[in-house]
Amino acid sequence: MKKLYYSILLILIIIPVRSRSQSNILVSRTAQVSFFSSAPLEDIQAVSTLGASAINISTGDIIFKVRINTFQFEKKLMQEHFNENYMESEKYPTSEFKGKISDVAKLRKEGRYVNLVSGTLNIHGVTKRYETSVEFLVKGREITVKASFPIKLADHQIKIPSVAWKKIAETVKVNLSADFSGEAQ
Amino acid sequence: MKNIFFWIIVSIVLSVPIISFGQDDLEMLAGFDSVQRDKVISTFKSGSIINLKTIETLGKGELDFRVDHRFGDIAGKAGGAKNFFGLDNSTDIKIGFDYGLTDELNFGIYRAKGASDATQLYEGAVKYRFLDQTQDDRIPVSLAFFASATLSAAKSDPNLNSPVSFRRFKDRFVYVGQLIIARKFSSRLSILVSPSYVHRNYTAYGDQNAFFAIGFAGRIKITRRISLLADYFLPFRNGLKKTLMESTWGETYYNPLGIGLEIETGGHVFSLNFTNSKSIQEGQLIPETYSSWGKGQFRWGFGITRRFSLTGG
Repeated sequence: MKKLYYSILLILIIIPVRSRSQSNILVSRTAQVSFFSSAPLEDIQAVSTLGASAINISTGDIIFKVRINTFQFEKKLMQEHFNENYMESEKYPTSEFKGKISDVAKLRKEGRYVNLVSGTLNIHGVTKRYETSVEFLVKGREITVKASFPIKLADHQIKIPSVAWKKIAETVKVNLSADFSGEAQ
Repeated sequence: MKNIFFWIIVSIVLSVPIISFGQDDLEMLAGFDSVQRDKVISTFKSGSIINLKTIETLGKGELDFRVDHRFGDIAGKAGGAKNFFGLDNSTDIKIGFDYGLTDELNFGIYRAKGASDATQLYEGAVKYRFLDQTQDDRIPVSLAFFASATLSAAKSDPNLNSPVSFRRFKDRFVYVGQLIIARKFSSRLSILVSPSYVHRNYTAYGDQNAFFAIGFAGRIKITRRISLLADYFLPFRNGLKKTLMESTWGETYYNPLGIGLEIETGGHVFSLNFTNSKSIQEGQLIPETYSSWGKGQFRWGFGITRRFSLTGG
């Protein structure tokens, strides 16, 4: 009798573990995050292709993370200033968005959708609520996500010295894209 | 009783998948694959502190233009109000370019006035950074190697005792080799140790051609853009030869000590400093510093560097 209990228990433990492999969670570890700053004297852009993201297509939860020092600039000096002076990446190594996708039930069918995503974004240690429309392209078990929204540097206490104001815009445009493919691990 | 226990376990087990779909699980799944092996950046702000070289190299395709200046003695016999606390004089001026062949390998060419008898100096240098400190401290220090060769174009002195009575072309060369060991302890504090070797092909009679020295340097950030700098060289001379030289020439050797303030303004780095060494180049300031802080023989100096990116827009 004891043996039976244990085997039932074992089965019950295994079931949830197995069910995760067919779960509603999709993961991307090569999400692309880029930003663009346009100022009178200089246009600056940087891109990171090492963003990590996970979405749960049943609850609509979404997480998007990127390490600040993975942003690549054209000029090494800019990259240094970005990490050292503006983002203070040793103090605040990552940026993270946590939010919810509205109307997530749509994403169970193939097609192209634009859904609102709202949540909190932490940049430079300062968290702020954001809401933006995000494009979802659903194809089988694959979802491609694209979004673009502005970030005001002052909202996240990123200080631009007066000598650099002609080189760095007060508001930068951020682009996100991620391919969520296959099953979650 | 056994039954109750069983159903409690069943209910806990059944609830696991529900819990596991929460935000925390998402967070776990969205974790980064690689551990934090990121390089520590900006250990120092530019290629030089005051009298020492830093670990920093330029990026590939970057050009750095640097001007260093040392004024005359602020106080002591040679200073004071009569020459406006040294500002009327300049003991040494150095102008040069560094170029990043790769992110790790830099070349430099410099021209310096030279503060000792050997003047009209042309220097070629190479810096190679071969190890980077990582943020997870798996590699606790950054390492670089600096090597330079300096040619003096000064007129040869017919007096054979003179340090510039060059007879052959090769007599005009001075070589410096330095290992640079640096660690950024926090975003505010960086420390550097630099075992160095100086070789002069020709010296004054009885002087030592080559010896080791060890350099120490530090930077403390006061604000995001302003830092305090200090550096010091400890040469290991042959005691006998040192005494001989000091008695022959009536001069005393001192160890170069510099303190300064570094101001960074995006692209430019300004260093305002005070040092007892009259020369700017390692090949002169390590073996030939005769001026003492204690006697007021220190001077105001500055360094200005500007970084350009030659590749890209």
